[in-house]
Amino acid sequence: MGKVRRISGCVAAAEAVRLADVDVISSYPIRPYTGIMSELARMIADGRLNAELVYAEGEHAQLSIVYGASAAGARTFTGSSGVGVTFAFEVYSPISGERLPVQMAIGDRTLDPPGDFGSEHTDAECCRDQGWIQGWAATPQEVLDMHLIYYRVGEDPKVMLPQYVCQDGYFVTHILGDVEVPDEAQVKEFLPPYKNHHVLDPKKPQIIGPQIEPCMGPPQQYQRKQAFDNINEVLIKAHDEFARIFGRRYDPFLEEFMTDDAEVVIFGQGAHMNTAKAVAARLRNLGDKVGVVRLRTFRPFPTDEILKRMSRFKAVGVVDNSAQFGISGGAGVLFSEVRTALYDVGDKVRTVGFVGGLGGEMITHDEFLKMFRKLQEVAKTGKVEKRAYWLPFEL
Amino acid sequence: MSENLFAEPNLKQITVWARGVLQNKDARDVVVALTEAAAQEDKYVQAWENYVDLPDRVYVPVRAYAKISPDPIDSRYVYENDAPDVVVLMEETLVKNDKILKGLKEGGILVVNTRRSPEEILNFLVTNGNLGTVVTVDANSMSTAVVTLDGAEGATDATGIGAGISAPVAGAVVKASGIVKLENLEKVVKNPAAMRRGYNECQVMKLDKIEPAEPVKEETAWDLLKRMPFAGTVDSPVSENPGMVTGNWRTRRPVIDKEQCTECSTCWIFCPDACITRTDNGMEFNLKYCKGCALCEATCPSGAITMVPELDFKE
Repeated sequence: MGKVRRISGCVAAAEAVRLADVDVISSYPIRPYTGIMSELARMIADGRLNAELVYAEGEHAQLSIVYGASAAGARTFTGSSGVGVTFAFEVYSPISGERLPVQMAIGDRTLDPPGDFGSEHTDAECCRDQGWIQGWAATPQEVLDMHLIYYRVGEDPKVMLPQYVCQDGYFVTHILGDVEVPDEAQVKEFLPPYKNHHVLDPKKPQIIGPQIEPCMGPPQQYQRKQAFDNINEVLIKAHDEFARIFGRRYDPFLEEFMTDDAEVVIFGQGAHMNTAKAVAARLRNLGDKVGVVRLRTFRPFPTDEILKRMSRFKAVGVVDNSAQFGISGGAGVLFSEVRTALYDVGDKVRTVGFVGGLGGEMITHDEFLKMFRKLQEVAKTGKVEKRAYWLPFEL
Repeated sequence: MSENLFAEPNLKQITVWARGVLQNKDARDVVVALTEAAAQEDKYVQAWENYVDLPDRVYVPVRAYAKISPDPIDSRYVYENDAPDVVVLMEETLVKNDKILKGLKEGGILVVNTRRSPEEILNFLVTNGNLGTVVTVDANSMSTAVVTLDGAEGATDATGIGAGISAPVAGAVVKASGIVKLENLEKVVKNPAAMRRGYNECQVMKLDKIEPAEPVKEETAWDLLKRMPFAGTVDSPVSENPGMVTGNWRTRRPVIDKEQCTECSTCWIFCPDACITRTDNGMEFNLKYCKGCALCEATCPSGAITMVPELDFKE
């Protein structure tokens, strides 16, 4: 068994990268993810990690470096935050299109404006449809575990896709939590070495990303879609294996909290859901049948799981920690997609969207209380007067 | 009703104020040492640094925080301690900052690293609302400050906890508050001898009368929305920037001897913050913005400028 340390989400991510024995890392500084790279630089300097750390001249270059390194057969790692994530945007689709299992940490930060370094999921969610696996960890322990699990899933021969491991800026990246750092032997058992399918080799030259005729567009995209369709099966197996080896079991898709007989639930992702849980627990003491469902894997979006497991609730409040202007439903992308997933059950489950915590502002206990109260009202009357609320102005 | 619902009556909060860069490490060590000691007593703990302060500016006031509770901590995802039980100042001139006692619980404790007595410190407090105890500890004479960037931005600090002035300061906190057992603090700090000196040699003054602080009315989100300029643009400051008042970065103040001053204006040229004005009455300093960098003193060809400790002035 590993040793328990009190470390930040940044250090937890770096520990995972060390344990995964990554070969090539590319960095460029931006708060709040920077701590991951400074930690990795220290590990290399101290001889604890044998990896090539390349200081890029920007995020576009960062992603281009791991793109090439991954194609050459290296296990790779990179990361960014906020506008750094969006500056690299061009390179995301080529990496997944070339089926290179690059891993990237995102320490969420708002896009400008506001020019602040608080957390918003907007940065990572911009990249949601680029063919990358994407999930949110809510504690430093989960950060470490998710990095390891995603390497295994992304590098699976049935998948071969890149992965974003996201953590809320400050709330997870900078606040220390208890983390059991596993043994290297355990990680070796869980995560086999990376094997590329088409290693760049001077003896067998090949072109990656060549120009193609339009007729080859559908088959190439369909190949990527098929790989994406394979993720869930591999993800479930990886979580089972993880639980067996490390003794920590996560639901691959949805973490349910106090939902057994719940009538209304809050649905969301990231550290704010820990606050939601604390509020739900207090309301349970008053006899309210409330719970929390935390999304762990955002891409692929677990449509079937949500339909299967969440149609038993009377009302679902979806919390989006992001600003998506003009989106269907008028809240954020989670709300839009949860509504779509629950469309088939019709009026049986009412959904309400809440946009909160923008610019890195906290979502307070009182705000979650107001959300639960609104959902209880909706569950009781069966009427949704207003589909979406922007906090704190509209609730 | 909601306030009672989310109350955490057994939660203790400690807020440590320090000077940017030079004291980041020692400030962090105070909260980490106290929480690590509390963890040995099976308490729930949280230690963190303020994310919004400007920790990479030398001498800027920065904060580190601790939460210690026998119950799970529900209020983990916050930026600041809202109601500290103990406030610690790692450097004495911070006492002039009118925000240090904000939200202090009734009967709260103030611990100051200084050679001065609690009575003297009390004189400088803008308000002593809710304050129950003032403690002074001359930590600088008991240990040496540790200046390092190790552990910045949530990374690992490999230099060890409590080797510098944090040790005696943490000792003084325990003496005044009993927040953890002394022997547990002793187990986690790297310099237990200095920690014990802080514990034994600090001066504790209980205040007879607590003047309850006036509750501050916070602006609502709607107030802020009204105040928010179109597209968030702000007018460029012409002479003074009210959004970046830097006078509280200063620990020493420039004082000019007008007899010796030749009004050569060298200081006026060198001042990096344009805090010096040439007037009919000679050179004038703008103390609202002067950071106390002492470049004026260093460049004055006639030795007319002296840097004087900030606490030699009441105002």
